[in-house]
Amino acid sequence: MLNRPVSLPTPRVGQPPERGPIRLDLSWGGRDWTVWMVDVGLACCSVEVMAAALGSGASREAGELVHADPGAPVDVLVVSGTCTDVLAPAVRRLWKSLPAPTRVVSFGACSNTGGPYWDSYSVTKGIDQVLPVDVYVPGCPPRPQALLQALSLIDDAGAMP
Amino acid sequence: MSAADPRASRARGVIALLEQNCTVCMLCVRECPDWCIEIDSHTVTLPADETHRRPRTEAVLDRFAIDFGLCMYCGICVEVCPFDALHWSPVAEYAATSSAGLVHERDRLSSWEPTVPAPPALDLHAVVDDPGPRRATGRS
Amino acid sequence: MSTLASAVAAAVAGATMHEGFGPVTVDVPRERWRDGLAAAQTAGATFFDLLTAYDDAPAGLAVVVHLATPHLRDHLLVRTVVPDAIRELDTATGVYRGAAWHERETHEMFGIDFVGNARLDPLLLGADLGAAPLRKDFVLAARAARAWPGEKDPSDQGGRPRRRTVPPGVPTDWPEAGS
Repeated sequence: MLNRPVSLPTPRVGQPPERGPIRLDLSWGGRDWTVWMVDVGLACCSVEVMAAALGSGASREAGELVHADPGAPVDVLVVSGTCTDVLAPAVRRLWKSLPAPTRVVSFGACSNTGGPYWDSYSVTKGIDQVLPVDVYVPGCPPRPQALLQALSLIDDAGAMP
Repeated sequence: MSAADPRASRARGVIALLEQNCTVCMLCVRECPDWCIEIDSHTVTLPADETHRRPRTEAVLDRFAIDFGLCMYCGICVEVCPFDALHWSPVAEYAATSSAGLVHERDRLSSWEPTVPAPPALDLHAVVDDPGPRRATGRS
Repeated sequence: MSTLASAVAAAVAGATMHEGFGPVTVDVPRERWRDGLAAAQTAGATFFDLLTAYDDAPAGLAVVVHLATPHLRDHLLVRTVVPDAIRELDTATGVYRGAAWHERETHEMFGIDFVGNARLDPLLLGADLGAAPLRKDFVLAARAARAWPGEKDPSDQGGRPRRRTVPPGVPTDWPEAGS
Protein backbone atom coordinates (compact mmCIF):
# COMPACT_ATOMS: atom_id res chain seq x y z
CA MET A 1 0.00 0.00 0.00
CA LEU A 2 1.32 3.40 -0.90
CA ASN A 3 0.98 5.66 2.12
CA ARG A 4 3.04 8.66 1.14
CA PRO A 5 2.40 11.39 -1.42
CA VAL A 6 3.47 10.61 -4.99
CA SER A 7 5.21 13.39 -6.87
CA LEU A 8 3.50 14.20 -10.15
CA PRO A 9 4.46 16.98 -12.59
CA THR A 10 2.10 19.95 -12.94
CA PRO A 11 0.18 19.59 -16.20
CA ARG A 12 0.81 22.38 -18.71
CA VAL A 13 -0.93 23.01 -22.01
CA GLY A 14 1.19 22.89 -25.14
CA GLN A 15 4.42 21.95 -23.43
CA PRO A 16 6.15 18.68 -24.27
CA PRO A 17 5.68 16.13 -21.49
CA GLU A 18 8.32 15.96 -18.79
CA ARG A 19 7.90 12.23 -18.41
CA GLY A 20 7.25 9.49 -20.91
CA PRO A 21 4.81 6.59 -20.88
CA ILE A 22 4.08 4.73 -17.65
CA ARG A 23 5.26 1.17 -17.16
CA LEU A 24 2.62 -1.44 -16.37
CA ASP A 25 3.82 -4.91 -15.41
CA LEU A 26 0.96 -7.27 -15.98
CA SER A 27 0.21 -10.75 -14.81
CA TRP A 28 -2.99 -12.32 -16.07
CA GLY A 29 -4.04 -15.83 -17.02
CA GLY A 30 -0.62 -17.27 -16.23
CA ARG A 31 1.20 -14.77 -18.43
CA ASP A 32 3.58 -11.98 -17.40
CA TRP A 33 4.37 -9.08 -19.66
CA THR A 34 5.08 -5.33 -19.67
CA VAL A 35 3.12 -2.57 -21.35
CA TRP A 36 4.05 1.12 -21.72
CA MET A 37 0.94 3.23 -21.47
CA VAL A 38 -0.12 6.84 -21.67
CA ASP A 39 -3.23 7.61 -19.64
CA VAL A 40 -5.45 10.43 -20.82
CA GLY A 41 -6.82 11.02 -17.35
CA LEU A 42 -9.92 13.11 -17.86
CA ALA A 43 -11.90 12.36 -14.69
CA CYS A 44 -12.44 9.91 -11.83
CA CYS A 45 -11.61 6.77 -13.83
CA SER A 46 -7.99 7.87 -14.03
CA VAL A 47 -7.67 7.29 -10.28
CA GLU A 48 -8.34 3.60 -10.88
CA VAL A 49 -5.84 3.55 -13.75
CA MET A 50 -3.24 5.05 -11.43
CA ALA A 51 -4.12 2.45 -8.80
CA ALA A 52 -3.56 -0.26 -11.40
CA ALA A 53 -0.22 1.28 -12.38
CA LEU A 54 0.98 1.84 -8.81
CA GLY A 55 -0.08 -1.62 -7.75
CA SER A 56 1.85 -3.56 -10.34
CA GLY A 57 5.41 -4.76 -10.71
CA ALA A 58 8.22 -2.21 -10.97
CA SER A 59 6.07 0.72 -9.90
CA ARG A 60 4.90 -1.14 -6.85
CA GLU A 61 8.46 -1.98 -5.84
CA ALA A 62 9.65 1.56 -6.44
CA GLY A 63 6.70 3.01 -4.54
CA GLU A 64 6.06 5.43 -7.38
CA LEU A 65 5.18 5.35 -11.06
CA VAL A 66 7.98 4.20 -13.34
CA HIS A 67 8.15 6.34 -16.47
CA ALA A 68 10.09 5.94 -19.69
CA ASP A 69 11.78 8.97 -21.21
CA PRO A 70 9.58 11.42 -23.11
CA GLY A 71 9.29 10.29 -26.71
CA ALA A 72 9.71 6.59 -25.85
CA PRO A 73 7.40 4.20 -27.72
CA VAL A 74 3.86 3.96 -26.40
CA ASP A 75 2.05 0.61 -26.51
CA VAL A 76 -1.34 1.60 -25.22
CA LEU A 77 -3.30 4.83 -24.94
CA VAL A 78 -5.82 4.59 -22.12
CA VAL A 79 -8.66 7.10 -22.20
CA SER A 80 -10.14 7.29 -18.73
CA GLY A 81 -12.85 9.72 -17.80
CA THR A 82 -15.45 11.97 -19.36
CA CYS A 83 -14.51 13.58 -22.66
CA THR A 84 -16.32 16.82 -23.41
CA ASP A 85 -16.95 18.03 -26.96
CA VAL A 86 -14.65 20.97 -26.34
CA LEU A 87 -11.79 18.67 -25.29
CA ALA A 88 -12.31 15.94 -27.92
CA PRO A 89 -10.08 17.55 -30.58
CA ALA A 90 -7.18 17.66 -28.12
CA VAL A 91 -7.56 13.95 -27.34
CA ARG A 92 -7.62 13.13 -31.02
CA ARG A 93 -4.51 15.28 -31.60
CA LEU A 94 -2.73 13.36 -28.87
CA TRP A 95 -3.70 10.01 -30.40
CA LYS A 96 -2.59 11.12 -33.86
CA SER A 97 0.79 12.18 -32.48
CA LEU A 98 1.51 8.60 -31.36
CA PRO A 99 3.00 6.19 -33.94
CA ALA A 100 0.93 3.21 -35.09
CA PRO A 101 0.05 0.66 -33.88
CA THR A 102 -0.72 2.25 -30.51
CA ARG A 103 -3.70 0.42 -29.12
CA VAL A 104 -6.52 2.40 -27.51
CA VAL A 105 -8.35 1.30 -24.38
CA SER A 106 -11.55 3.07 -23.43
CA PHE A 107 -11.74 2.85 -19.64
CA GLY A 108 -15.06 3.43 -17.92
CA ALA A 109 -18.61 4.22 -18.90
CA CYS A 110 -17.98 7.85 -19.85
CA SER A 111 -15.36 7.10 -22.44
CA ASN A 112 -17.25 4.01 -23.65
CA THR A 113 -20.58 5.68 -24.43
CA GLY A 114 -20.81 8.92 -22.50
CA GLY A 115 -22.03 6.87 -19.53
CA PRO A 116 -24.25 8.77 -17.06
CA TYR A 117 -23.77 11.84 -19.23
CA TRP A 118 -25.00 10.21 -22.44
CA ASP A 119 -27.73 12.84 -22.72
CA SER A 120 -25.55 15.84 -21.81
CA TYR A 121 -25.24 18.95 -23.94
CA SER A 122 -21.46 18.94 -23.67
CA VAL A 123 -20.20 15.36 -23.42
CA THR A 124 -18.81 13.30 -26.27
CA LYS A 125 -20.91 10.13 -26.39
CA GLY A 126 -17.95 7.80 -26.18
CA ILE A 127 -14.36 8.48 -27.19
CA ASP A 128 -14.89 6.14 -30.16
CA GLN A 129 -16.67 9.06 -31.80
CA VAL A 130 -13.26 10.66 -32.40
CA LEU A 131 -10.75 7.83 -32.47
CA PRO A 132 -10.79 4.04 -32.94
CA VAL A 133 -11.01 2.00 -29.75
CA ASP A 134 -9.57 -1.50 -29.44
CA VAL A 135 -10.85 -2.51 -26.01
CA TYR A 136 -13.79 -1.21 -23.98
CA VAL A 137 -13.65 -1.62 -20.21
CA PRO A 138 -17.05 -1.40 -18.49
CA GLY A 139 -17.36 0.13 -15.05
CA CYS A 140 -18.08 3.34 -13.24
CA PRO A 141 -15.26 3.28 -12.42
CA PRO A 142 -13.90 -0.12 -13.43
CA ARG A 143 -11.73 -1.90 -10.88
CA PRO A 144 -7.95 -1.72 -11.45
CA GLN A 145 -8.07 -5.48 -12.09
CA ALA A 146 -10.46 -4.80 -14.98
CA LEU A 147 -7.73 -2.80 -16.71
CA LEU A 148 -5.36 -5.75 -16.36
CA GLN A 149 -7.92 -8.10 -17.91
CA ALA A 150 -8.58 -5.62 -20.70
CA LEU A 151 -4.89 -5.35 -21.53
CA SER A 152 -4.67 -9.14 -21.65
CA LEU A 153 -6.90 -8.89 -24.73
CA ILE A 154 -3.97 -7.18 -26.42
CA ASP A 155 -1.05 -9.55 -26.78
CA ASP A 156 2.66 -8.75 -26.48
CA ALA A 157 3.11 -7.89 -30.13
CA GLY A 158 0.33 -5.34 -29.95
CA ALA A 159 -1.89 -7.30 -32.33
CA MET A 160 -5.45 -8.10 -31.41
CA PRO A 161 -6.28 -11.78 -30.73
CA MET B 1 -13.59 -13.51 -4.54
CA SER B 2 -10.42 -15.06 -3.27
CA ALA B 3 -8.03 -14.66 -0.36
CA ALA B 4 -5.55 -12.88 -2.64
CA ASP B 5 -8.23 -10.59 -4.05
CA PRO B 6 -10.93 -10.08 -1.44
CA ARG B 7 -13.96 -8.11 -2.50
CA ALA B 8 -16.69 -6.63 -0.35
CA SER B 9 -19.82 -8.73 -0.09
CA ARG B 10 -21.89 -6.30 -2.14
CA ALA B 11 -19.12 -5.25 -4.54
CA ARG B 12 -20.67 -3.99 -7.77
CA GLY B 13 -18.99 -5.85 -10.57
CA VAL B 14 -21.74 -7.02 -12.87
CA ILE B 15 -25.50 -7.54 -12.61
CA ALA B 16 -26.89 -11.08 -12.69
CA LEU B 17 -30.42 -12.02 -13.72
CA LEU B 18 -32.41 -14.72 -11.95
CA GLU B 19 -34.82 -15.27 -14.79
CA GLN B 20 -37.37 -17.38 -12.96
CA ASN B 21 -38.11 -14.43 -10.65
CA CYS B 22 -38.71 -11.90 -13.40
CA THR B 23 -42.39 -11.09 -13.98
CA VAL B 24 -41.68 -8.42 -16.64
CA CYS B 25 -43.01 -5.66 -14.42
CA MET B 26 -40.66 -3.25 -16.31
CA LEU B 27 -39.75 -1.35 -13.15
CA CYS B 28 -35.98 -1.76 -13.68
CA VAL B 29 -36.30 -0.49 -17.26
CA ARG B 30 -38.27 2.56 -16.23
CA GLU B 31 -36.13 3.45 -13.24
CA CYS B 32 -32.72 3.09 -14.89
CA PRO B 33 -31.36 6.66 -15.17
CA ASP B 34 -29.22 5.73 -18.17
CA TRP B 35 -31.92 3.83 -20.10
CA CYS B 36 -29.49 0.95 -20.37
CA ILE B 37 -31.93 -1.94 -19.74
CA GLU B 38 -34.07 -3.17 -22.61
CA ILE B 39 -36.82 -5.72 -22.24
CA ASP B 40 -38.98 -7.24 -24.95
CA SER B 41 -41.93 -9.39 -23.98
CA HIS B 42 -45.36 -10.58 -24.91
CA THR B 43 -48.34 -11.98 -23.05
CA VAL B 44 -49.89 -15.42 -23.28
CA THR B 45 -53.34 -16.38 -22.20
CA LEU B 46 -53.46 -19.45 -20.03
CA PRO B 47 -56.77 -21.34 -19.98
CA ALA B 48 -58.76 -22.09 -16.84
CA ASP B 49 -57.73 -25.26 -15.05
CA GLU B 50 -58.20 -27.07 -11.73
CA THR B 51 -56.47 -24.34 -9.71
CA HIS B 52 -57.62 -21.30 -11.71
CA ARG B 53 -61.30 -20.90 -12.42
CA ARG B 54 -60.78 -18.16 -15.06
CA PRO B 55 -58.32 -17.81 -17.92
CA ARG B 56 -55.45 -15.49 -17.07
CA THR B 57 -52.75 -13.65 -19.00
CA GLU B 58 -49.10 -13.99 -18.10
CA ALA B 59 -46.14 -11.97 -19.36
CA VAL B 60 -43.36 -13.93 -21.06
CA LEU B 61 -39.86 -12.54 -21.29
CA ASP B 62 -38.39 -12.48 -24.81
CA ARG B 63 -35.38 -10.27 -24.42
CA PHE B 64 -33.60 -8.89 -21.37
CA ALA B 65 -30.45 -6.91 -22.12
CA ILE B 66 -28.24 -4.59 -20.10
CA ASP B 67 -25.76 -2.34 -21.88
CA PHE B 68 -22.78 -2.25 -19.53
CA GLY B 69 -21.16 0.39 -21.70
CA LEU B 70 -23.81 2.81 -20.44
CA CYS B 71 -24.37 1.33 -16.99
CA MET B 72 -23.17 3.51 -14.13
CA TYR B 73 -23.58 0.79 -11.50
CA CYS B 74 -25.95 2.86 -9.40
CA GLY B 75 -27.89 -0.24 -8.34
CA ILE B 76 -31.34 1.31 -8.74
CA CYS B 77 -32.49 -1.64 -10.86
CA VAL B 78 -31.31 -4.15 -8.27
CA GLU B 79 -33.00 -2.24 -5.45
CA VAL B 80 -36.27 -1.54 -7.21
CA CYS B 81 -36.94 -5.06 -8.43
CA PRO B 82 -39.86 -6.26 -6.29
CA PHE B 83 -39.17 -9.90 -7.12
CA ASP B 84 -35.45 -10.02 -6.38
CA ALA B 85 -34.55 -11.01 -9.91
CA LEU B 86 -31.42 -8.85 -10.20
CA HIS B 87 -28.31 -9.33 -8.06
CA TRP B 88 -24.85 -7.84 -7.76
CA SER B 89 -21.90 -10.03 -8.61
CA PRO B 90 -18.33 -8.98 -7.75
CA VAL B 91 -16.89 -10.08 -11.11
CA ALA B 92 -15.47 -6.92 -12.73
CA GLU B 93 -13.37 -8.35 -15.55
CA TYR B 94 -15.47 -8.54 -18.71
CA ALA B 95 -13.92 -5.99 -21.03
CA ALA B 96 -14.78 -6.41 -24.72
CA THR B 97 -13.22 -5.54 -28.04
CA SER B 98 -16.38 -3.85 -29.28
CA SER B 99 -19.13 -1.66 -27.88
CA ALA B 100 -21.67 -4.34 -28.74
CA GLY B 101 -19.67 -6.82 -26.68
CA LEU B 102 -20.64 -4.86 -23.58
CA VAL B 103 -24.34 -5.55 -24.12
CA HIS B 104 -25.18 -8.65 -22.12
CA GLU B 105 -28.26 -10.52 -23.28
CA ARG B 106 -30.49 -12.77 -21.25
CA ASP B 107 -28.30 -15.88 -21.33
CA ARG B 108 -25.16 -14.04 -20.37
CA LEU B 109 -26.91 -12.16 -17.57
CA SER B 110 -28.21 -15.47 -16.23
CA SER B 111 -24.73 -16.97 -16.43
CA TRP B 112 -23.49 -14.48 -13.82
CA GLU B 113 -25.86 -15.87 -11.20
CA PRO B 114 -23.48 -18.58 -9.87
CA THR B 115 -20.96 -15.82 -9.13
CA VAL B 116 -23.38 -13.95 -6.87
CA PRO B 117 -22.14 -14.41 -3.30
CA ALA B 118 -24.40 -15.48 -0.46
CA PRO B 119 -25.68 -12.61 1.66
CA PRO B 120 -23.19 -11.68 4.37
CA ALA B 121 -23.55 -13.28 7.76
CA LEU B 122 -25.20 -11.19 10.43
CA ASP B 123 -22.98 -9.26 12.77
CA LEU B 124 -21.71 -11.47 15.60
CA HIS B 125 -23.52 -9.49 18.23
CA ALA B 126 -26.80 -9.10 16.38
CA VAL B 127 -29.86 -10.13 18.34
CA VAL B 128 -32.39 -11.77 16.09
CA ASP B 129 -35.89 -12.55 17.24
CA ASP B 130 -37.29 -15.67 15.71
CA PRO B 131 -40.22 -14.40 13.59
CA GLY B 132 -42.08 -17.67 14.00
CA PRO B 133 -44.12 -19.51 11.37
CA ARG B 134 -45.75 -17.38 8.69
CA ARG B 135 -49.37 -16.63 9.49
CA ALA B 136 -51.98 -17.34 6.84
CA THR B 137 -53.59 -14.12 5.60
CA GLY B 138 -56.60 -15.72 4.02
CA ARG B 139 -55.42 -15.13 0.45
CA SER B 140 -53.98 -17.82 -1.79
CA MET C 1 -33.61 32.45 13.56
CA SER C 2 -30.58 33.98 11.89
CA THR C 3 -29.94 37.56 12.92
CA LEU C 4 -28.07 38.14 9.71
CA ALA C 5 -31.04 37.12 7.59
CA SER C 6 -33.41 39.13 9.77
CA ALA C 7 -31.27 42.22 9.32
CA VAL C 8 -31.29 41.84 5.55
CA ALA C 9 -35.02 41.19 5.38
CA ALA C 10 -35.71 44.23 7.53
CA ALA C 11 -33.52 46.49 5.41
CA VAL C 12 -35.09 45.68 2.05
CA ALA C 13 -38.66 46.58 1.14
CA GLY C 14 -40.61 43.61 -0.09
CA ALA C 15 -38.13 41.02 1.21
CA THR C 16 -39.32 37.77 2.76
CA MET C 17 -37.49 35.17 4.80
CA HIS C 18 -37.75 31.48 4.21
CA GLU C 19 -36.29 28.77 6.37
CA GLY C 20 -35.67 25.37 4.87
CA PHE C 21 -32.77 22.97 4.83
CA GLY C 22 -29.45 24.70 5.31
CA PRO C 23 -29.10 28.46 5.47
CA VAL C 24 -32.05 30.83 5.74
CA THR C 25 -33.09 32.28 2.40
CA VAL C 26 -34.02 35.94 1.99
CA ASP C 27 -36.08 36.54 -1.13
CA VAL C 28 -35.80 40.07 -2.50
CA PRO C 29 -37.65 41.65 -5.44
CA ARG C 30 -35.63 41.85 -8.62
CA GLU C 31 -35.48 45.66 -8.53
CA ARG C 32 -33.92 45.57 -5.04
CA TRP C 33 -31.25 42.96 -5.82
CA ARG C 34 -28.31 45.31 -5.24
CA ASP C 35 -29.94 46.70 -2.11
CA GLY C 36 -30.35 43.20 -0.73
CA LEU C 37 -26.71 42.30 -1.33
CA ALA C 38 -25.50 45.62 0.07
CA ALA C 39 -27.65 45.11 3.17
CA ALA C 40 -26.17 41.66 3.69
CA GLN C 41 -22.66 43.05 3.38
CA THR C 42 -23.42 45.85 5.82
CA ALA C 43 -24.91 43.36 8.26
CA GLY C 44 -21.60 41.50 8.28
CA ALA C 45 -21.76 38.99 5.41
CA THR C 46 -18.48 40.02 3.84
CA PHE C 47 -17.58 36.56 2.46
CA PHE C 48 -19.03 35.92 -0.99
CA ASP C 49 -19.23 32.19 -1.65
CA LEU C 50 -21.15 31.68 -4.87
CA LEU C 51 -23.74 33.00 -7.27
CA THR C 52 -25.78 30.60 -9.30
CA ALA C 53 -29.27 30.12 -10.72
CA TYR C 54 -31.92 27.51 -11.26
CA ASP C 55 -34.88 27.35 -13.57
CA ASP C 56 -37.96 27.92 -11.42
CA ALA C 57 -40.44 27.52 -14.25
CA PRO C 58 -42.96 29.03 -14.77
CA ALA C 59 -41.97 31.88 -12.41
CA GLY C 60 -38.66 32.42 -14.19
CA LEU C 61 -35.02 31.93 -13.29
CA ALA C 62 -34.13 32.12 -9.62
CA VAL C 63 -30.70 33.66 -8.99
CA VAL C 64 -29.17 32.68 -5.66
CA VAL C 65 -26.16 34.08 -3.81
CA HIS C 66 -24.56 32.35 -0.82
CA LEU C 67 -22.94 34.77 1.63
CA ALA C 68 -21.26 34.28 4.99
CA THR C 69 -19.73 36.25 7.82
CA PRO C 70 -16.00 35.97 8.54
CA HIS C 71 -15.00 32.59 9.99
CA LEU C 72 -18.34 31.32 8.67
CA ARG C 73 -20.14 31.96 11.90
CA ASP C 74 -23.36 32.74 10.08
CA HIS C 75 -24.51 32.44 6.51
CA LEU C 76 -27.53 33.06 4.33
CA LEU C 77 -28.88 32.77 0.83
CA VAL C 78 -30.17 35.83 -0.98
CA ARG C 79 -32.46 35.01 -3.85
CA THR C 80 -34.44 36.76 -6.50
CA VAL C 81 -36.51 35.65 -9.47
CA VAL C 82 -35.83 36.89 -13.00
CA PRO C 83 -38.95 36.44 -15.17
CA ASP C 84 -38.41 34.82 -18.58
CA ALA C 85 -39.65 37.92 -20.37
CA ILE C 86 -36.91 40.08 -18.83
CA ARG C 87 -33.74 37.90 -18.41
CA GLU C 88 -31.80 40.78 -16.90
CA LEU C 89 -30.43 41.43 -13.44
CA ASP C 90 -28.14 44.01 -11.88
CA THR C 91 -24.60 42.80 -11.47
CA ALA C 92 -23.47 41.84 -7.98
CA THR C 93 -19.91 42.93 -8.75
CA GLY C 94 -20.59 46.44 -7.45
CA VAL C 95 -21.02 44.91 -3.99
CA TYR C 96 -18.91 41.74 -4.24
CA ARG C 97 -16.15 41.82 -6.86
CA GLY C 98 -15.77 38.06 -6.63
CA ALA C 99 -19.15 37.61 -8.27
CA ALA C 100 -17.66 38.43 -11.68
CA TRP C 101 -16.66 34.88 -12.58
CA HIS C 102 -19.87 33.42 -11.20
CA GLU C 103 -21.98 35.80 -13.25
CA ARG C 104 -19.99 34.87 -16.33
CA GLU C 105 -20.77 31.19 -15.79
CA THR C 106 -24.42 31.81 -14.90
CA HIS C 107 -24.83 33.99 -17.98
CA GLU C 108 -23.46 31.21 -20.16
CA MET C 109 -25.56 28.45 -18.62
CA PHE C 110 -28.85 30.32 -18.12
CA GLY C 111 -28.75 33.26 -20.51
CA ILE C 112 -29.21 35.96 -17.88
CA ASP C 113 -27.67 39.33 -18.72
CA PHE C 114 -25.96 40.83 -15.67
CA VAL C 115 -26.23 44.55 -16.34
CA GLY C 116 -23.00 46.29 -15.43
CA ASN C 117 -20.74 43.26 -15.84
CA ALA C 118 -18.75 43.83 -19.02
CA ARG C 119 -16.88 40.49 -18.90
CA LEU C 120 -19.62 38.00 -19.77
CA ASP C 121 -17.50 36.20 -22.42
CA PRO C 122 -18.06 32.48 -23.08
CA LEU C 123 -16.34 30.34 -20.48
CA LEU C 124 -16.87 26.61 -20.92
CA LEU C 125 -19.13 25.88 -23.83
CA GLY C 126 -18.35 25.61 -27.52
CA ALA C 127 -19.60 28.45 -29.69
CA ASP C 128 -21.96 26.24 -31.67
CA LEU C 129 -24.26 25.28 -28.81
CA GLY C 130 -26.41 28.30 -29.46
CA ALA C 131 -28.54 28.25 -26.31
CA ALA C 132 -28.38 28.29 -22.53
CA PRO C 133 -28.22 24.59 -21.66
CA LEU C 134 -29.36 24.63 -18.03
CA ARG C 135 -32.75 26.14 -18.79
CA LYS C 136 -35.56 23.64 -18.62
CA ASP C 137 -36.67 24.41 -22.17
CA PHE C 138 -33.29 23.27 -23.56
CA VAL C 139 -33.97 19.97 -25.31
CA LEU C 140 -31.43 17.25 -24.63
CA ALA C 141 -31.14 15.95 -28.15
CA ALA C 142 -30.13 12.48 -27.02
CA ARG C 143 -33.27 12.02 -24.92
CA ALA C 144 -35.51 13.33 -27.66
CA ALA C 145 -33.89 11.15 -30.34
CA ARG C 146 -33.83 7.85 -28.53
CA ALA C 147 -36.96 5.80 -27.82
CA TRP C 148 -37.31 5.24 -24.10
CA PRO C 149 -37.10 1.49 -23.35
CA GLY C 150 -39.59 2.01 -20.51
CA GLU C 151 -42.32 2.80 -23.03
CA LYS C 152 -42.72 -0.89 -23.81
CA ASP C 153 -45.20 -3.07 -22.01
CA PRO C 154 -45.84 -6.83 -22.25
CA SER C 155 -49.36 -6.15 -23.52
CA ASP C 156 -47.94 -4.50 -26.65
CA GLN C 157 -47.27 -8.04 -27.90
CA GLY C 158 -43.93 -6.94 -29.36
CA GLY C 159 -45.51 -4.28 -31.53
CA ARG C 160 -45.39 -0.51 -31.26
CA PRO C 161 -46.08 0.71 -27.72
CA ARG C 162 -49.67 1.85 -27.39
CA ARG C 163 -49.16 4.18 -24.45
CA ARG C 164 -47.03 7.21 -25.15
CA THR C 165 -45.37 7.49 -21.75
CA VAL C 166 -42.70 10.07 -21.14
CA PRO C 167 -39.57 9.14 -19.20
CA PRO C 168 -39.02 10.86 -15.85
CA GLY C 169 -37.49 14.30 -16.14
CA VAL C 170 -38.54 14.85 -19.76
CA PRO C 171 -41.08 17.65 -20.33
CA THR C 172 -44.18 16.53 -22.22
CA ASP C 173 -43.74 18.99 -25.08
CA TRP C 174 -40.44 17.61 -26.35
CA PRO C 175 -40.39 16.13 -29.87
CA GLU C 176 -40.86 12.37 -29.79
CA ALA C 177 -38.37 9.86 -31.13
CA GLY C 178 -38.94 9.25 -34.80
CA SER C 179 -41.09 12.35 -35.28
